Amino acid sequence: MTESDVTHPLHGRTPLTCPRDVTPPAGFVSQELHDPFEAHMGPLFEQINADGSRVFAFIADERHLRADGSVHEGMMMTFADAFLGGAAWRGSGGKPCVTMSLQASFLADAKQGDVIECRTKVEKQTRSVMFVSASFTVKGEPVMTATSLWKVLGER
Amino acid sequence: MTASPFPAGFTQVQTEGFGGFAGPVMGGTDDKGPLFLMDIAYQHLNGADRLHGGMMMSLMSIVMGEVAAATAKVKDASAVTRPLSLNCDFVSAGETDERIEGRAEVTRATRSVMFISGTLAVGPRVLMTATGVYAIKAAE
Repeated sequence: MTESDVTHPLHGRTPLTCPRDVTPPAGFVSQELHDPFEAHMGPLFEQINADGSRVFAFIADERHLRADGSVHEGMMMTFADAFLGGAAWRGSGGKPCVTMSLQASFLADAKQGDVIECRTKVEKQTRSVMFVSASFTVKGEPVMTATSLWKVLGER
Repeated sequence: MTASPFPAGFTQVQTEGFGGFAGPVMGGTDDKGPLFLMDIAYQHLNGADRLHGGMMMSLMSIVMGEVAAATAKVKDASAVTRPLSLNCDFVSAGETDERIEGRAEVTRATRSVMFISGTLAVGPRVLMTATGVYAIKAAE
């Protein structure tokens, strides 16, 4: 089964609207969002390459910042949860997955207006657990790495 | 449902930017030390009508970040703290209208680094345990 064969359980439900209308970066499209918190913080963008690999992105605005003007670690981890979770779900063949653990290392600041990109990798999957990592970049420079564990619901 | 009022003396923390838009998160002190409170509302949910994992980590990062900053400022009022690494374990789910209590304590602080652990809970039920490593810097 390839990733594109998986139909999301929420597919067909009306997607939620984001409070902000943001033009996607070149080559990206807006994702359909069904989680109220992701819609609240979104839009979030996606690029699907010819080989099936995906790149995810968001554009930092004033809703995402710390008092000093850099992007808040909570927003970076929210972005990670959304897209590492998507990778876990696609990797498991479309079974619902919930976060068990997520670790993030903050390598550099992202700023307002930056396009923050995320590339995910399924490191290992067992019947009940998905191991997913990701790297986050701005203009090709690393800003965060994340590793995570996901429970595949209903499996043990 | 009308949420119960927050205890006297509690005020919103991180009112601007992400903290203000994602929260509100209230901060104060009780007999056990610094305490942070957030009521779970619609905009905090995931597609399964539970607290979104990103919001749970966001709240944890605000709780640990506030305790890190307050601790560093005791020694040097101009010090700023930045997270180097956060590790969050998702112990149980949060439901709409529940009030989350967040706490964090400093395990060790050196001149340049601080180790913190934190917990989010609803009553006796733990939602999240977390550890963080923060850098302590003089103001630029």
